[in-house]
Parts: sequence; C-alpha cells; structure tokens
Amino acid sequence: MPDATLRVYRGTPGQPAHFQDFQVPVDEGMVVLDALHWIQAHRAPDLAVRWNCKAAKCGSCSTEINGKPALTCKARLSDFAPGETIVVEPMRTFPLIRDLVTDVSWNYEVNRRIQPFTPPADVPQSEWRWQQQDIERVQEFRKCIECFLCQDVCHVLRSHETDNLFIGPRFLVRAAGLEMHPMDTADRLPFLKDEGGTGYCNITKCCTEVCPEHIKITDNAIIPLKERIADRYYDPFRMIWRRLRGTKAPAPAPAATTKA
Amino acid sequence: MQAVYDALIVGAGGAGLWAALELAQAGVKTAVITKLYPTRSHTGAAHGGVCAALGNLEEDHWEWHMFDTIKGGDYLVDQDAAEVLAREAIECVIELEHMGLPFNRTPDGKIDQRRFGGHTRNFGEGPVRRSCFAADRTGHMILQTLYQQCLKAGVVFHDEYQVVDLLFEGGDAGEGGRAAGVVAYRIADGEIFPIRSSAVLLATGGFGRMFRITSNAWSLTGDGIALAWRHGVPMQDMEFFQFHPTGIVGIGILLSEAARGEGGYLLNDSGERFMKRYAPTMMELAPRDMVSRAIYLEVRDGRGIGGKDYVHLDVRHLGRKVIEEKLPDITDFARVYQGVEPITEPVPVQPTAHYAMGGIPTDIFTRVTRDEHNTVVPGLYAAGEAACLSVHGANRLGTNSLVDLLVFGRRAGLQMAREVGGVDLPILARNVEEPVRAELRAIRDRPSGESASRLRRELADVMMDQVGVFRDEPTLSMALPKVRELRERYERVSVQDKGRTFNTDLLEARELGYLLDCAETTVAAALARRESRGAHSREDFPERDDVNFLSHTLAYRGAPGRPTLRYKPVTITRFAPKPRTY
Repeated sequence: MPDATLRVYRGTPGQPAHFQDFQVPVDEGMVVLDALHWIQAHRAPDLAVRWNCKAAKCGSCSTEINGKPALTCKARLSDFAPGETIVVEPMRTFPLIRDLVTDVSWNYEVNRRIQPFTPPADVPQSEWRWQQQDIERVQEFRKCIECFLCQDVCHVLRSHETDNLFIGPRFLVRAAGLEMHPMDTADRLPFLKDEGGTGYCNITKCCTEVCPEHIKITDNAIIPLKERIADRYYDPFRMIWRRLRGTKAPAPAPAATTKA
Repeated sequence: MQAVYDALIVGAGGAGLWAALELAQAGVKTAVITKLYPTRSHTGAAHGGVCAALGNLEEDHWEWHMFDTIKGGDYLVDQDAAEVLAREAIECVIELEHMGLPFNRTPDGKIDQRRFGGHTRNFGEGPVRRSCFAADRTGHMILQTLYQQCLKAGVVFHDEYQVVDLLFEGGDAGEGGRAAGVVAYRIADGEIFPIRSSAVLLATGGFGRMFRITSNAWSLTGDGIALAWRHGVPMQDMEFFQFHPTGIVGIGILLSEAARGEGGYLLNDSGERFMKRYAPTMMELAPRDMVSRAIYLEVRDGRGIGGKDYVHLDVRHLGRKVIEEKLPDITDFARVYQGVEPITEPVPVQPTAHYAMGGIPTDIFTRVTRDEHNTVVPGLYAAGEAACLSVHGANRLGTNSLVDLLVFGRRAGLQMAREVGGVDLPILARNVEEPVRAELRAIRDRPSGESASRLRRELADVMMDQVGVFRDEPTLSMALPKVRELRERYERVSVQDKGRTFNTDLLEARELGYLLDCAETTVAAALARRESRGAHSREDFPERDDVNFLSHTLAYRGAPGRPTLRYKPVTITRFAPKPRTY
C-alpha cells in the first residue's frame, strides 16, 4: 500500500504555528489516530495528542481533519483519495494547549449550570415505572460521548463571541435528556430561554452532521426545546392572557408532580 | 501550590465516582483526581449490563448470584465478599435508577433484565434474566449519572491531573504508616505538587496495556496498584488475567458476547466450527476462558485463518435484520476498524486481554490490607478493577465488573466517611514531592537512552506470547529474565519531549514503569502457581489443585525483578469447592 501523507498542526499559544508533513506507512484498517501514533513512535515523540479508548467511545481524540470536525480514531485512511494529503488540526473553537490538544474545560463549566436530574421526593419504588418508548428518546441523548465536535462545528460558538450567551448543542442535548426523563420534576425552560441562549441556534444542523454517535441533535433535542419555549413564552393566546391577568412571567411548572 | 482535602479519590471511573458521591453527601470535603476527564474513564466502555437479582421477569435470589460468582471464579472467590456483591447489587441498581439512569423497561414498566453468561437460576439449573441494562451503553450511562450527581453534591474535580506518587506518614504503607495524600502532576503544564488528605481511595482501574492485544484503553497502566506496591502493599492474584475470546484482530476492541449469544459461529481456516472439539455441548457459548483457550490452540496448531493468529466469527447465517438490529456495535466496529462487512463476510477475531482479576488486596470495607492476616493500611482504600477482594477469584463473570465497582465504590465512600471524622489531617514534610520530581526529571533530562515506546512494545510482546492464555514452565521461565532485562533497560529510559506542556511522552514513560511492576509480579505468580484454575491455564499442570493452591497469591516488592511471594487463605462460608463444569 502507498504511504499516506499527513500534514499535522504543530504549535503552542504565543508561538508561530506551522504544519509538519509526515509520510506514514499504511496498513489495512488504519485510522488517522494510528497514523498519529506511528508519527509519535518514529518521527515526532513530542507530538501532543489526546486520546484514550481508540474505539470511538471516550470522546478524547476530537480534531479537525481536512477542515471537518472528526474523531481521529474513527477516520479510516482508506476513506481518503489515494495521494490526498490528510490535514489534521486542533479544534478551532477551543483554546489551544499544544499541537492537536485543546482546552475543552469550558464545556465542563457549562455543564455545571444545568440543573441535574431532580426526581420527585418520596415516590415509592412501586411507582418508578414507565414504558420503554418513554425512555428511548432519553437513551438517544445519553449516548453522547462528549467529544464536543458539535460544539466545535457550531457557528454560534465558533464564529461569534457567544460562549457565555449560548450553551451549545451538547448541552441542549443534555438538557433535553433531563427535560424528557419521565421522572424528572425540574423546570429548565427559563434557563434554556435566557442564560442557555437556545434562540441563538438557527437550525443549520451542522452539529447533527458531525455527531459520531448519530444523535439527531437538531431534530430530536433542539427543535423540541425551542417548541416548548415558544409554547410557554410566545404563544399569542398565553401572552394576551398574561397581559389581562397582569402577570409577567409564566407560572412555573408544579414542583412535585412528574411530567407526562 | 498544595491542596488539602478530607478525602481524596484517585480515578474517576464508576468506583471512584460513587465513593466521591457518598463522601460529599456525608459532608466530607472530597476531591477526585483523574488523568482523563471523568466521563472518559474506561467504565464507559462496558456494554453488557449490571447483574442484580431483582427478579423482575422471573424468580431470582441474591444467593444464586453469589453462587454463580463463586463458581465462575473457580472457587478462588472470597465468599463473604461475593455475598456482599450479590446482596448490595440490588440496592445499587435501584439507587442508580433514582439518580436518573435510563434503564430499559419491561412491558409493565419495571427495569428490564436479560440473560448473561454464567448467570443461572437455582445454583446452575439454567440461565436466568439478571442483567439490567441501558441500551448497549450501560457503563457509559453509569459514568454520566454518577458524575452529574457528584457535581450536585459538591465534589471537587481535578481533571487531567496524574497521580505520580502516594504519601504516607509514620512509616511506609508496608511498615504500619498511614495514608497522607498523593503527589499530583498537572498534565497541561507539568506542575508537580502534593495533595494532603487523611483518606485516599485508589480507583485507578486495571493494567491491560501490558499486553499487545487488549480491549483496555490507553490509560489502563496499573498506576494505583504499582504505586501502592512501591510503598510496601502487595499485589494479589496477579496471575489471573481474563482474556475475552472475541477481540478485533490487531486492535483488541471487544466484539460483545452477544454475537455468540445470538448464534454466531467461530470457524477455523478450514471453515470448521472447532468448538465442537472443545465444548461439544455449549459450543461457542462455553465460558470465556474455555473459548479463548480453544482459539489459541487452533492458532498454535496452524489452523488460524491463512495460518495467521486469528479465527473467524461468522454471523452471516443470522441474516441482515438480526445483525443490524441486535448486533449494532459489532457491525459498526467491524466496518470502521476492519473494513469488514459482517453481513457478507466473516469477522477476524482473536483473544484480547480484558480484565485484571488481581490487584490491591482489600477487605470487604475496601480498606487496603498488606499481609496474609489482613492487616489494614490506615487511611488507604481501593475499589473497582484496581482492587482485589477477591470477588472475581480466578475468572470474572460477565457484568460483575460493573457490579463490583458500584457495590464497592459505594462501600468505599461510606467507610471513608465513617473513618475520616476521627482522624487529624496528616502533616507533610517540606518538599515531600521531591523524590518523584527527581525521578521524572531524570527521565526528561537524560539526553539519550532507551526508547519508552520500544520497551513498551517488547513488554507487550513477551506478555502476550509467553504469559497469555496458555502458560507452562518453559515459556514463563523465558518471560521472567526478559521482564528483568526490560526493567534494567528501563533504568536508562529517556524521552525526546523535553517540554512541560501536555508532555505525554514523559507520562507514558512513567506509566511504562507501572506496567513493568505489574508484569514482574504476574510472571512470578504465574510461574509459582503450578495448577490450572480459571483464567490461569498451565499446560504442564492442567488440573485445579485445591490441596496446594486454594489460596491467594501476595506478591511483594523484592530485589528488582524478583518479587517475594506469600499466600493467603480463601474465605469459604457456604459453598465448598466442586469441579467446575457447565
């Protein structure tokens, strides 16, 4: 098999970055991460790469390959055209640490702002029952491996100074998984409308395209949340009713009952 | 910088997170330190489920689960620990459900359960539905659930910090000293500093990376086990390492047992279902250790595919519908990592190093013990794959890894919360981190020397080829001097990355030292155990020998490459050892 050419981003913040080319011998079934490991073992032991499971389950090895956010452990060399130079760069939405490693800690800060699972108090075990179909949607959201490729590709986060205004697709997925859990009693809609910045998403579906777990982020998580927010806050009949009653905010959901 | 916590958890897999949760909920100031981000821990790779005798679909009892665990472990299981495991599994699953884990449901809305290898009704009469699961992502969802609960409870997380040493006061761990904290290395910038704590839990997972073909993630390098060992704690039962029969060739990623459960065949080079010669009744569904041995024998006798070191897993006869709906992970893995289409082609598989039954000896309260009298090391705890109670004995049963980390992770947290109250915070000497700083500096500053990646490859080869599925005196006797040689060469290891920022070159060299520690004790213990039991198969001693070897191995650090072995009796409460037939 002919060698593959990898063009790898090298650099640290504050230093001029450059691309370094490597010719890598190719074996059957190799993925980009294998090629990076070969480079580390034979050419550049100081190449910084973050990875762990090499089975597309831990979400560590996110980069941009030929400009597209992707897991290096899931990108097969055989999927590139023969002779094509494979350009590997760090995710651009997050601050660079070194080479292909970025600082993704902002995501973990955002995560803390979302109210965790809040079950009803004192419901006996015999009432913890629901149907499989009621949990399947939650299971879809819970497949997320937190690779943050969706956050990386999202133009709201990537191209604008909105990181404190919009929590991004990953955390709308997390919020949806909680909001749609049959036993959750919390009300996250005020948060999602205001601090969460759900309105910033204009449904370009880029996040869905790059998701390695094939979660239908836009259709199944974001749009339903937008609809819930619209129903509560922007329904014209409700707005008129609120004006007549002289109340400003919609009544919060009853606290001690479970959602349908 | 120096940080202080009342309790410190090393490792953020299921065991570490549940322990942290219990501690924080009890009001103890608790931190978790992990060399990854917490939800990237290897607990997340577990697909199958978590067994608990809920009896939601048919009659089941924890006593049956206890028995299956003991028999599966070939009677090397400590039966008091197996009892705790089977009893408390039930509460753990219910608690997880109440934390929001989306388990699959039965038609009447309860937690669904399915069959799993080795789990039986009425002490071996037939299979039972015991495994609770959340799609095929049970481990991943456990991690996420516990992590979010930890945040809610106020646990502090130090993400991407690596523990590089353990601290004790009043003597080393092996001399009656008590745990005083750890030395941490911040991966982002190479900063090294001590963290003070009067209770330290080691929940650092296993050490599968010492084998060439393994299902284990890169991080599983035996850090906690080796660090405790260097301070005088023995490693227990290291000769028992589980090989899963169906790993992807060359990579080792697991193709779940479900493929054979659904009726998949294992074929050799001539297309023969060779299991009929090894397990005529159970065929492909024989226990993991038996199937791995059969594949190994086929390969060694030249009947691997094209004479190579693998066989075929064939699911074609199951049809597209079954393959795509019931075996999605296999289909995905085979397509992505092998370029093989399981609907039309057989999938090449070979045994893959999967799970360490051995590890840090503990009692049923997760307190680390340091000798055959179960003398406790004050303030030091271990849980999950890093620990060895032993609940898995000589061979772990499917799903019991998750059960183990839930039950004993929770116990660790409860026990630590009980004990930290009555203890003063340890006092650390100045520059207590200096020895490990000097060790790391030596590796980094050595201008040239042995390459860590070459040593690691040689270690992985010798462990795979000479200390793998089958063992005998001649091959183990070859492995022993090879591991010693690698250890000597490791003294001269150097790295090319001399920087401080995200220097994985340096950390991997450090981790190689841990793997060498684990390898050394594995080889020595395997050589000394002249019997076959569970995952430890000696061709020169093919029978189990309860007269001489119904005991746990304790391997202490001795002269380099020459650990000292001692033995500890197995705790037997209810089930006298019997021949292990299925």
